Amino acid sequence: MARDDLAFLSAAETAEAIATKQVSPVDVVQAYLARIERLDGQLHAYITVLRDEALAAARQAEQALNRGDELRPLFGVPVAVKDQFWTKGILTTNGSRVYRDFVPSEDATIVTRLKEAGALILGKLNLSELAMGGTQQPPYGIPRNPWDLERTPGESSSGSGVALAAHLCAASVGEDTGGSGRGPASCCSVVGLRPTFTRVSRYGMTPMCWFTDAASPMTKTVRDCALILGAIAGYDPQDPSTSRKPVPDYTALLGQSIRGRRVGLIRELQEHDDMHPEVRRAIDDALGVLRQLGAEVQEISIPLVALAGAIFVGVADTEGAGARDEILRRRAAELDSASRTRLQAAALVPAKVYNRAMKARVLLRQQFMQALQQVDILVSATMPQPPPKHNALTAPFRGAEDVRSRFFFRRAYTGCYPLAALPAISIPGGFTSDHLPIGLQFGARPFAEATLLQVAYAYEQATPWHTRRAPGTEG
Amino acid sequence: MALSKEDRVRELAPLVGIPIMESELAEVADRFDSLLQELECLMSLDLADIQPVTIFPEEE
Repeated sequence: MARDDLAFLSAAETAEAIATKQVSPVDVVQAYLARIERLDGQLHAYITVLRDEALAAARQAEQALNRGDELRPLFGVPVAVKDQFWTKGILTTNGSRVYRDFVPSEDATIVTRLKEAGALILGKLNLSELAMGGTQQPPYGIPRNPWDLERTPGESSSGSGVALAAHLCAASVGEDTGGSGRGPASCCSVVGLRPTFTRVSRYGMTPMCWFTDAASPMTKTVRDCALILGAIAGYDPQDPSTSRKPVPDYTALLGQSIRGRRVGLIRELQEHDDMHPEVRRAIDDALGVLRQLGAEVQEISIPLVALAGAIFVGVADTEGAGARDEILRRRAAELDSASRTRLQAAALVPAKVYNRAMKARVLLRQQFMQALQQVDILVSATMPQPPPKHNALTAPFRGAEDVRSRFFFRRAYTGCYPLAALPAISIPGGFTSDHLPIGLQFGARPFAEATLLQVAYAYEQATPWHTRRAPGTEG
Repeated sequence: MALSKEDRVRELAPLVGIPIMESELAEVADRFDSLLQELECLMSLDLADIQPVTIFPEEE
């Protein structure tokens, strides 16, 4: 196999090729480093590339392989993490000038667990400032969508989406507060999972909103997603909020029939007037595929979901502004202007409004749980529109109505699941006639990630979307 | 007389202790105004019997 071809393998295929000694971990890391060297000057997926560290770890892995050591699930697989996760002795910027000198003394738990599973940490990935989205002048470069360089790769785990779509890492862990993992997955035609709240440790993950933050496996394939989740999930004494539930084998149901699975299309999201017609058609087509696979498809109503964007901003931005009070008081000038004004506005929200948003969140959760008594899986688009152009997201706002239309509506699609503390996944769901990616989103009951992955895998294997390569990244 | 959006922000910001640049006052005011407008739609919900609890999925 040619060296450059190694980077097009999935994480599972990479681990298999290394375990069977078809390729060496050093060759794999070198293949990715060569691509990063060639492509990332334009794409800006990485903030820090750990060239020497990754090569040293790969050489150690090669020695372990030659010794016949027991191989772990991600043995030799180059993984890159969002620069929101602490890495011992390595700069961790959170995409902000405020953290330009922050070098943690510990690894985040998910980084420790990736290493324990055999992964090699290839680098730290770009993100919107403080994992919020809407950064106008990203201090570490504008991440560009490999499918169309003029378009956003989604926010805030932008670098993770870019790196996967351009095959600059084998897998990634991003973060998802309100869609920050699933949004970039949708924009970049890759896989992004938001696990159930408390399923994965948040120790060493710089917070945005305590109530909804979650580490987010982001991968090229659904099987890879199952592998990464299996590696990082589970109780962590350093994060007492983590669940003590046992971690299942998330690959166990992959390939099993979904015949008889009850699937519900969320009516309020599918019928919204502002949804792009080609996105709506893609979701309808996806339902057809699921029917052919034996799923029982129905429409389902979650009345409050249309307000989820507003509820999300009322909870998460207000909480985020409170948590960043010190920065807002003393270091606001170092923030990007969009981050600054967003946090400042949220900091002014009256307590009675925040309280109402928190209550509405609980009501939304009740409605989701009622819906999930009728179906196993909920379906919608991940985003109502294809990835917009960079300047459509970062242009200065033209009045309150402009803020409203650009800021709230799209957040309903992904923000509803974190508000309800439920797992959700975005997988490639097709392309527009302009060749722009469309994300298909599935949601499920608490801790039902294995079911989520089963249905996602069945759809993935029945469709060609995950096999397409972004232009300019082929060779 | 009702305060303008900008004057409302001018009054609130010192109370919460955050400095806002005059050149960005209009944007903060627009963002704040849209946030309140959007959350206004929650006023019609019957939330009297709902408590704003933290959701721990395991407890259900």
